[in-house]
Amino acid sequence: MAGITFKHVEKTYGNGVTVVPDLNLEIKDKEFVVLVGPSGCGKSTTLRMIAGLESITKGEMYIGDTLMNAVPPKNRNIAMVFQSYALYPHMSVYKNMAFALELAKTPKDEIDKKVHAAAEILGLEPYLDRKPKALSGGQRQRVALGRAMVRNPEVFLLDEPLSNLDAKLRTEMRSQISKLHKQLGTTFVYVTHDQTEAMTMGDRICVMKDGMIQQFDTPQTLYDYPCNLFVAGFIGSPQMNFINARVEKAGDGYALCFGEAKIRANRTELAPYVGKDVICGVRPEDFHAEPQFMGDGNTIHAYIDLDEMMGSESYLYLNYADQKLVVRVPSRYARKADEFIKLAIDTEKLHIFDKDTELAICQ
Amino acid sequence: MAKKSKPEIKQVSYAKWGYIFIAPFFIAFLIFQLIPLAQTIYYSFFEYYRSGLTIIGPNPVGFDNYKALFDSDFLKYAGNTIILWLAGFIPQIVISLILAAWFTDVRLKIRGKQFFKVVIYMPNLIMASAFAMLFFALFSENGPVNASLVSMGILDKPFRFLASVSGTRGLVALMNFLMWFGNTTILLMAAVMGINPALFEAAELDGCSPRQTFFRITLPMIRPILVYVLITSMIGGLQMFDVPQILTNGKGSPDRTVTTLIMFLNNHLYSKNYGMAGAISVILFIICAILCLLVYFNLNPTEDDKKIRKRDRFKPRKEALNG
Amino acid sequence: MDKKPSHVRTVIAYVVLIILTFLCLFFFYILVINCTRSHQQIQAGFSFLPGKSFAQNFNNVIHDAKLPVLSGIKNSLIVSACCAALATYFSALTAYGLYAYDFKLKKPAFIFIMLILVMPTQVSAMGFINVITKMGMINTLYPLILPSVAAPAVFYFMYSYMQSTLPLELIEAARIDGCNEFKTFNRIVLPIMKPAIAVQAIFAFVQNWNNYFIPALVLQENSKRTLPILIAMLRSADFLKFDMGKVYMLITIAIVPIIIVYIALSRYIVAGVALGGVKE
Repeated sequence: MAGITFKHVEKTYGNGVTVVPDLNLEIKDKEFVVLVGPSGCGKSTTLRMIAGLESITKGEMYIGDTLMNAVPPKNRNIAMVFQSYALYPHMSVYKNMAFALELAKTPKDEIDKKVHAAAEILGLEPYLDRKPKALSGGQRQRVALGRAMVRNPEVFLLDEPLSNLDAKLRTEMRSQISKLHKQLGTTFVYVTHDQTEAMTMGDRICVMKDGMIQQFDTPQTLYDYPCNLFVAGFIGSPQMNFINARVEKAGDGYALCFGEAKIRANRTELAPYVGKDVICGVRPEDFHAEPQFMGDGNTIHAYIDLDEMMGSESYLYLNYADQKLVVRVPSRYARKADEFIKLAIDTEKLHIFDKDTELAICQ
Repeated sequence: MAKKSKPEIKQVSYAKWGYIFIAPFFIAFLIFQLIPLAQTIYYSFFEYYRSGLTIIGPNPVGFDNYKALFDSDFLKYAGNTIILWLAGFIPQIVISLILAAWFTDVRLKIRGKQFFKVVIYMPNLIMASAFAMLFFALFSENGPVNASLVSMGILDKPFRFLASVSGTRGLVALMNFLMWFGNTTILLMAAVMGINPALFEAAELDGCSPRQTFFRITLPMIRPILVYVLITSMIGGLQMFDVPQILTNGKGSPDRTVTTLIMFLNNHLYSKNYGMAGAISVILFIICAILCLLVYFNLNPTEDDKKIRKRDRFKPRKEALNG
Repeated sequence: MDKKPSHVRTVIAYVVLIILTFLCLFFFYILVINCTRSHQQIQAGFSFLPGKSFAQNFNNVIHDAKLPVLSGIKNSLIVSACCAALATYFSALTAYGLYAYDFKLKKPAFIFIMLILVMPTQVSAMGFINVITKMGMINTLYPLILPSVAAPAVFYFMYSYMQSTLPLELIEAARIDGCNEFKTFNRIVLPIMKPAIAVQAIFAFVQNWNNYFIPALVLQENSKRTLPILIAMLRSADFLKFDMGKVYMLITIAIVPIIIVYIALSRYIVAGVALGGVKE
């Protein structure tokens, strides 16, 4: 049992800056939770509060059922992987992994067994006698993981562990960490600023901004039903398009008007917004160039500024009614730059946000 | 469990360890430096000395010690100290700058740099008192230097270095020069090598001669280190003691022309005149405190200074242009 | 066209360097030569060749009843070694305290140390003698050793070194691994600081080996005296009646061990000197 619970937690630094004003978060046992957000959003601080590296100014933090506020890190039964790996440069790989166990006065043969078991899983057996200096970035990363593994912690904390690796290695390590989570069956809390990592690894993702949780849900829900403008823009790549549009009544439904386009949106939630501006969010893949999607009241005719052929699909950077849009269409339906293209919008997948509160009106 | 509204729950905090770790330093400093300093200042306002076997004082006398100080030869000794320091420092900084420029000049491929660096730094590690004793033995009336000079026919009779003012001062300056020029050279070299090499390449492309490069690029760029060297050398000069003390056996002979301020202080400490020793110390302290402040601001430039310094980098300085 | 002046400059550079090298080495050459020659030989005139009286001179110095050379060497070694150990350990500890922890007095403490960075100890010598007399430490080696705990310059070097080599994450990793704070310092930080400690230990050793002013004020008993004081005693003795072989031998004993260590470790020492100043 090692869920993590934050109850009204506040973190204020000595210089009076409040990074986290009021955090309420419940992470379940054995869950892989990703904390994601732009830098300075308080995600690392949250992780470090779980580790006990930062004190908690106000509120309560539990691991399992135990109040942890005053418990030093070593007694929290957690392990942490740092961004810079933080391997002890003067110790061999073996020593690095064994250090925590030695301090806990674990018998020698047991240490040996655990270190070798972890090294085997991570493919580190040939490097046990080397110093960290003599390892590649990916190998150091795995040592850092191994050092955390040997302790059998209830909670695994990972602070941007992949950000120092090159792109190819990062993809590889991503799946390795996911696999590790399944193997170990412990709670993982993973901090990153990279939404791709978050989407591919997390059971649930906690999107944070300015110390506040924006939305905490499964990747699919976050993607399909972002609860506000920030989450909608943060999750997904390329970013969701935001279009300023005016709500008008159209027959027995409503339409979103921008430029010459009148996109039908038959949502009852729009009733109070008639005559007002809203922000309409459309994901790049919800524009369609294929003829079968074209219908009445869902098309735009847009000028292409730039086209990027990615293989089977193309990204088109459009300029429509003075708004920049990015769309993703199959390459064989794409056009070149400086041409016009007719596109259909999937009206089922429109995201509509209030212009003032930036909250989703309907999903 | 829902809401225990305790105002403050205990926290994990490491602040106390910071205090614990720096405590020994500050305790040692307090006992061996700060309290002594306070006492020194305190007694400088007292008549407090030993005459024969009886101890006079401490009786408060206000600024009398200071007055007595300036009536005695204090200013003469201050002058001696400055002369001795300058006589060693000027050749030291000139030679060090030249050597640093040569060692770092890529066009002047000097071989055996490491050997020269090792050799010129060596005198710095020598025990100053032993070095002074060695010079005393070598330059004494019937020492090897005189013997060689006479036998080579340069002198007709031994020259009594330690009986002439310039001879004695010259020897002190020579020793100080030998002991410190290597250290300064290495510091300046490190500073020069810290300059972006692209700057020198750009200067070469712009048609700078080695001399122009030195005055217009190198000198302005290493100004902070030069200031550091200057001030620490001044403080070192104020502390000058071992060499003249041993060389002249504490007498500052001939005619106390090489008696330095610390030798003066030492004499008062030996004769247990604590009031006067205190007064000398306080004056030295004030001078050193000013120099310490200069070092502090040199090492920790304020934000404004940093900006100015950055701008200076791209603007040839007036002094350099005149040079 | 540009070749010629650069050639001339090279020649000038070598000439100056050779003169300076000569100046630096010549006196030590005479010293080493003279300590192998007997008093009569030295008086008879200077020679570039060594004599055969090294052992004789050495014996004379060691067994001189008035000059406790052996205990002088021992005292000097004790003081210098203890100072080197204390100065480096506590400076590293202080630097670590100010580097790794956040506390209210952190900034004032740092500024204070920076302010006294180059303050000479001589200015408080008078009060120092008073204080240690009251503490009963006069004429012992303690007042020469204990003040090394507060060595601002060593602190500054350690602090700069930490800034460039010790990431805070490493300390946090140790905390999570179950190290207490002292263990973290001793088992993680100190090994990483080894190069800096080695360099500063050498400097602290040499500085205290050579120190004369304060020991001369503190140590009054013959058996407690350190080498520099013995040399000063030699100077104040009636010089002309003295065995010159012995004089040169004592100077050799004071200087040569340091030079040998220096030559063995010169690469690190010179690099250390350079590091001390590279800070704008």
